[in-house]
Amino acid sequence: MKRILEIALGLVIGIGGFLEAGSLATSAQAGADFGFDLIWSIILGAICLAFLVEMSGRLSAISKHSLPDVIRERFGFRFFMFPLVIMLLVMYMALATELGGVSLALQMISGVSYRWWVIPVALLSWFLLWKGTFGLIEKGVSMLGLVTLAFLVAAFMLHPPFAEVARGAVPRMPARDGTHYWFLAVSVLGACISPYLFFFYSSGAIEDRWNVSHLNINRITAGAGMGFGGIVAIGALVASAVVFHPRKIQVESFEQLPLLLTSAMGRAGFALFVISLAVACFGAAQEVALTSAYMMAQGFGWEWSEDLPPSDDARFSLTYTLLTLLAIIPTLLGVDILKLTNLSMVVSAASLPAVVVPLLLIMNDARYLGVYRNGWVSNIVVGVITALAFVLAVVSLPLMITGG
Amino acid sequence: MLLIRDVLDSQMLDRNRHRMGKVDGIVLELRDGAPPRVVYLEAGAPTLARRLSQSLGRLADALARRWGGTHTQPYRIPWGLVRGVELDVTVDLLLEETRLNVVEDWLRVHISERLPGGRKHEHA
Repeated sequence: MKRILEIALGLVIGIGGFLEAGSLATSAQAGADFGFDLIWSIILGAICLAFLVEMSGRLSAISKHSLPDVIRERFGFRFFMFPLVIMLLVMYMALATELGGVSLALQMISGVSYRWWVIPVALLSWFLLWKGTFGLIEKGVSMLGLVTLAFLVAAFMLHPPFAEVARGAVPRMPARDGTHYWFLAVSVLGACISPYLFFFYSSGAIEDRWNVSHLNINRITAGAGMGFGGIVAIGALVASAVVFHPRKIQVESFEQLPLLLTSAMGRAGFALFVISLAVACFGAAQEVALTSAYMMAQGFGWEWSEDLPPSDDARFSLTYTLLTLLAIIPTLLGVDILKLTNLSMVVSAASLPAVVVPLLLIMNDARYLGVYRNGWVSNIVVGVITALAFVLAVVSLPLMITGG
Repeated sequence: MLLIRDVLDSQMLDRNRHRMGKVDGIVLELRDGAPPRVVYLEAGAPTLARRLSQSLGRLADALARRWGGTHTQPYRIPWGLVRGVELDVTVDLLLEETRLNVVEDWLRVHISERLPGGRKHEHA
């Protein structure tokens, strides 16, 4: 029974990490513009993330140290500042995006502008972190997140041509519009391989006091959680490919996306969409905010645990407080959340080597992992996919900023 | 034991196993005709600033002289108080008795406890 509950940690990351503003928007854009052709990018992203999450869980279970702890110890303070600063930027953009996503969901049902919703949304997110425990957030989000399965159900109800769906699982060169194709591929990869997730997972393994006996559960949760998330994201892509692609409709705002579910399910689809968007973004926002505090506390050696009252780890709890406060600014200013999402995903993909390279070096270090260090399969899979995401991101960023 | 590998940047724990920052610096004493000896561990922002760059270090020193009151030097823990060097470095001190917790204490009293639900025994 206890083991079954522990799989919740994997599932919460699968849902909160996969189907959030980023993966929903990028999957829908990919389906609308290129039909089923980009399904492979979700699969590659999910595989890479599953490996990374498995590694960071294994690192914590064996070494009893979280990832930021080990990065600083192993590479020194000067080096540590590099992933820390990059990750804080990535997490800031991700948190702003997710808070914006919840606010947009509320705008869709209330008619009141998302710019005003962001304040109560941020307050609620902060208060749950402030008073809640790790277990509450982990289990609460994973239970509520099951509603996102609606995208998978919708994809089946739309009767997609399964042969074409299967063909999309194989990477291929674009038939046309190459720049846009690769831009969407890297957006999807960036949305799947969110670096904050494996930091969150590594800290979660410490919060839940993992040890060697958890390695099997770690493998199952990483695989099942990321598999679940990936399949739901593929559901969103397939629905979009059926609903938008034949009509040549481009996804230009979140407000178009309820169509993914209403086409198959009518009015109920609208409710399910709004709830899915709100819940998935809210869960991701909680994870991102918490991860920023984990990284700071673990990097500087402060007291930390989501289970302590905030007065016992003031620096830790005020870190997520401050990041949440700052992250409402873009939405409050009325920034286009979809554009923010795309930018955030590409920056996230570009940031990957800063955290993946140190992680891979640590995972091959017998001092921390002994006989549990990485085999060559993990090294190659993660190395190749990360390199691909990085190259695509570095090429895409200038094009994106100049509006190409 | 290797100083850089096993001690520098490790987590420090106090007598009650509370986290009390990282080993931010190590102070060695050079001796004529004998190998250098570790005398102190250092912890705190000025030491970290110096490791990032010399000018940041000078800035941190200037700030410490201006705002640090009597504490113009980085916080030092005599090597004799180190009880164990394993995954973490355990020292024979109590966090509350050091000045490593001043920022934490200030933030708790002035911000955390003033926010709703921030007091530990509010609902007890």
